Amino acid sequence: MRTRTFVLAAAFVVFTASTRAQEGHPLTGTWAGDWGPAGAQRTHITMVMNWDGKAVTGVINPGPDAISLTAVSVDWGTWTVRIDAKGVAAEGRMEDIGSSHRRIVGTWSQGGAKGDFTLTRD
Amino acid sequence: MKQFVLGALIAVGAVAHAQLPVPALYDEWRRVTLDGVVTRVAWANPRAYVFVDVREPGGPVSNWAIEIGNPLDLEQRGWLRTTVRAGDSVSVEAVPARDNAKRALLSTFWKTSPRARVFSGSAATAKAAPTAAGPAPRWPDGQVRLGPPAGRKGYWGAASLTTMIESASKISVRADGLLANLSDADRVAPFQPWARAVYLHRQRTLLRDDPAARCLPTGGPRQFHTPNGFQFVEQRDLGRILVLFGGANRNWRIIYTDGRPLGQAAEAVPSYYGSSVGRWEKDALVVESVGYNERFWMTNGGLPHTEALRLVERFSRPDLNTLRYEVTVDDPRTYTRPWRSEWTVRWVPDREIEEFFCEENVESTFIR
Repeated sequence: MRTRTFVLAAAFVVFTASTRAQEGHPLTGTWAGDWGPAGAQRTHITMVMNWDGKAVTGVINPGPDAISLTAVSVDWGTWTVRIDAKGVAAEGRMEDIGSSHRRIVGTWSQGGAKGDFTLTRD
Repeated sequence: MKQFVLGALIAVGAVAHAQLPVPALYDEWRRVTLDGVVTRVAWANPRAYVFVDVREPGGPVSNWAIEIGNPLDLEQRGWLRTTVRAGDSVSVEAVPARDNAKRALLSTFWKTSPRARVFSGSAATAKAAPTAAGPAPRWPDGQVRLGPPAGRKGYWGAASLTTMIESASKISVRADGLLANLSDADRVAPFQPWARAVYLHRQRTLLRDDPAARCLPTGGPRQFHTPNGFQFVEQRDLGRILVLFGGANRNWRIIYTDGRPLGQAAEAVPSYYGSSVGRWEKDALVVESVGYNERFWMTNGGLPHTEALRLVERFSRPDLNTLRYEVTVDDPRTYTRPWRSEWTVRWVPDREIEEFFCEENVESTFIR
């Protein structure tokens, strides 16, 4: 029984890895998460980023209220990501870099408010 | 159980056969000697295991998983499925796991009653049998054949280089793609800053996130230095060449030689093997490919790429037993300029590629 459970778990891991793997530029893809000043006051974020060979472009919350990213930079020595958009400034550190579900965790400023944020690549 | 520090790297060849990045699992600086009784033999691809009950000094009995190599390589070295059986008393010298799990990579294997050495070295270091020399085989119209001579069998086996570095670079790199010195990274390929950071991260983490370790396809040039070989099936009447891979997840690739343009709309979905068209330039098959996805590492060692990857591969056969593979990597989103690498592959005459599936080893890879 234990063996069967393990096989199923391993198969699930392989399946999810095969459907989500992304081994190219670490920022390319769709990211989801939230930001806010405290645990109970969170604002959902969806962010789409793409590396075109010279710059990372993208949008926050694609749709009618989308905010285009104006600048994205990475310090590759520390894996620190800086994201700027109209009215938004965020800086965080990339974690679990080798995973397709890598994360960016840091601080987020928007409209005079500040808080922490976490984004996880889908 | 005796355990001691070696103080030197084990031979590069000891890890050359693995589908998984072995250094991520084993500590090449240490050796263990294990005396015990075989409880089970897991004869499966890509790696077979012998499980041995070992009594710790003054302590309980632990069941060790000894990775003994790839069954196909083992059989070539004379170690068959029935060579070792449950109940045999054995003595094993092996490289232990880094995480102190009861797992080790075989170095020397002895039966102890009666005492007889079963195996020494690595399954991957089996020397190729001497093969008869000869010119490259040709079709009746004079075109070089990439497959066997007419009426014969055979396939392409071991590559002279099992990782990819820029042609002019002379650096020390292990068979699994780990650099001896990380300071050599800039000589591997002309990285963009992000790509260099990703490559170094993969090197520093001992390739633990390698998609091939989860049996995902080894696309791009990596397919030509993956263990267990490959073969070309030239379907000249259909205007295509099939490349059948014996290793990894036993996949296949099509190179169209019917004159179609590169990158057809129907092939727009990025894939592990891309979209390839080929043409003959005298005795060399020149293949251009685009349409790769970003879900694989294009070589052992963890070189990254993007969907902008474009490969130009050149296959030539200077003689019966040698395939020369030259590849130019053009991915301006990853590298600062196009760059090239090359290696040769040895012909295995009169044999068929044997059945091999990476997925088959889920049981012995993940479960004790």
